[in-house]
Amino acid sequence: MPALVEARNLHKVYRADGVETPALRGVNFSARRGEFTAIAGPSGSGKSTLLHLLGGLDLPTEGEVWLDGERLDDKGAVARARLRLWKVGFVFQAYNLIPVLTALENAAFVLELRGLPARERSERARAALAELEMEGYASRKPNQLSGGQQQRVAVARALAAEPAVIFADEPTANLDSKTGRALIEYMKRLNREKGVTFIFSTHDPRLLEHVRRVVHLEDGRIVGEEERG
Amino acid sequence: MWTLAWKNVGRGRGRSLVTAGAVAAVVALMLVMYGFSGAVLNGMFQNLTRTTGHLVLRVKNAESVREFDLSLVRGVPELKAAIARALPEADVEAVLEVPALLAGETRSRGVVLLGLEPDGHLMKELVDKYRVRGAPPADGDGWSAALGLALAQALQVDVGNPVYAFAPGTDGLGAAAFTVSAVLDLPESTLEARTAALTLQAAQELAAPDAASRIVVFLPWLKTLRQADRLEEARTELAAVVPEDYEVLTWREAQPALAAILDMMGPMLLIYAVIFFVLAGLLVVNTVYLGLVERIREFGVIIALGADRWRIMRLVVLESLLLVTSGAAVGGVLGGLAVWRLAQGFSLPGTLAQQYAEFGLPVVMYASITPGQVLQVFAFAVLTAIASALWPAWLAGRLEPVEAMRHVA
Repeated sequence: MPALVEARNLHKVYRADGVETPALRGVNFSARRGEFTAIAGPSGSGKSTLLHLLGGLDLPTEGEVWLDGERLDDKGAVARARLRLWKVGFVFQAYNLIPVLTALENAAFVLELRGLPARERSERARAALAELEMEGYASRKPNQLSGGQQQRVAVARALAAEPAVIFADEPTANLDSKTGRALIEYMKRLNREKGVTFIFSTHDPRLLEHVRRVVHLEDGRIVGEEERG
Repeated sequence: MWTLAWKNVGRGRGRSLVTAGAVAAVVALMLVMYGFSGAVLNGMFQNLTRTTGHLVLRVKNAESVREFDLSLVRGVPELKAAIARALPEADVEAVLEVPALLAGETRSRGVVLLGLEPDGHLMKELVDKYRVRGAPPADGDGWSAALGLALAQALQVDVGNPVYAFAPGTDGLGAAAFTVSAVLDLPESTLEARTAALTLQAAQELAAPDAASRIVVFLPWLKTLRQADRLEEARTELAAVVPEDYEVLTWREAQPALAAILDMMGPMLLIYAVIFFVLAGLLVVNTVYLGLVERIREFGVIIALGADRWRIMRLVVLESLLLVTSGAAVGGVLGGLAVWRLAQGFSLPGTLAQQYAEFGLPVVMYASITPGQVLQVFAFAVLTAIASALWPAWLAGRLEPVEAMRHVA
């Protein structure tokens, strides 16, 4: 099966005020459709940078990024945005909800960007919120929700769009254990039943227990990989 | 995006209210200005055409003809009859202007003797309306004349005194004695100092039997400046029935200087509109730009979720449009109410009304605005919204998602 996501000899160097800071140093990575993969590593190892590059949020200094058979790193901002809209879901470490929108509107936001009819996006967003036990908070705004609740809405926003791959940056870090377990179960079910590919950056042991594959990153290099039954 | 844009407009509530309020004020002000200018233009048009008529029949190129007898329209009764057949609704009057020397007992002045039909519009407008004392000139046993107040003072005469007119080299009597029947306080001081009105018959017998300087046509259905097409149609109909030696002018051609003054009003208002909307636009730019700066992180998230730069730019422009059109809607209602109120009739405050009457403004005016002018004001508002949002939208469209999401306001 061809890789859904692939990085070839990926380098990323941040430049600021004449100072170069390498974040990734020749990373080769691939994930097939339907995988449930974690990228683990200490803070500053380059996990978030790798997710950003794989998701087309940023461009590598060197190397190639492929998503669903399309090369990302040679595409312009508009083409990459279009790919993100239709194929990629993001869950950020910070909640990153839009403060003026309700939980339901936030969950439906990507669907609105896709131009879906109001009724359909509302139904799908409500279903996603229900999966995360947030249906009772649909009309609340982010500032009326706890941190954990906001993160669950952010997850619902990614899940509602049912993208080909979801990149999640520490998705369970701010969730209580019950919600964390529910979230993981929902994602596993989505992975199993709909074939959605999940790629996480995490060191949450609850999440690592459920992944089939863990890629270890350190100082911008892959230092190990393990497959689990 | 509509929901988000609308909610974003309400975010910086104080700032948005001030900006929308400024737009509302500009829109209301422009509507009132357009309504007021409509009142002034229509008032001036009506005042002007009350004395010049809507159409004028005269000798071709009359302004360049030096000889008095060559400047005259001959066969006035026949021409009036032909005009009445071509334009049955029109009121038609002949006017004879005779350059003459007018003398009192001790003093004399060069004047224009204005021969007017006794029961015509012009006798009412130029004599009746401005009569300080005495009675309008009439055909009777003796000839009489109404003198401008300044002229009467210069000749040291008053109502009941005799004056003597000399018009040598003309086809009429060339000289005649008149009794001052009235003194006129005319709105234009220069006119007042050199005008004496008499009956058309008296003027003709003095200088040009059966002739006139011009035949003036009043079209009762012509009420506003905007009926130019109908005026042109009437001119064409009239031109078809007059001899080749004569020409038919519209009031515009007969009074080009005054017509030019009226025509200046439109461009002047346009300049005012541009200035006001540019000022309002600066406020809108400020509001939209600050809204962008405060939400850079949020824009980063929206871009990360799949919005391309064009969609981001559209969002910024949409926010600006919603902000401005909200203000414009409020301003439209307020301005519309003000124009409606002024359309019932209004006067300039204090002595201004009398002072401006000198320039042809009526004392009571009626605001008037066209749908085109209303559309123009709202089009300006929309243009302001778009133009004000272009720069912030361009900045927002250039944001890189990762950098933007790291931004701390």
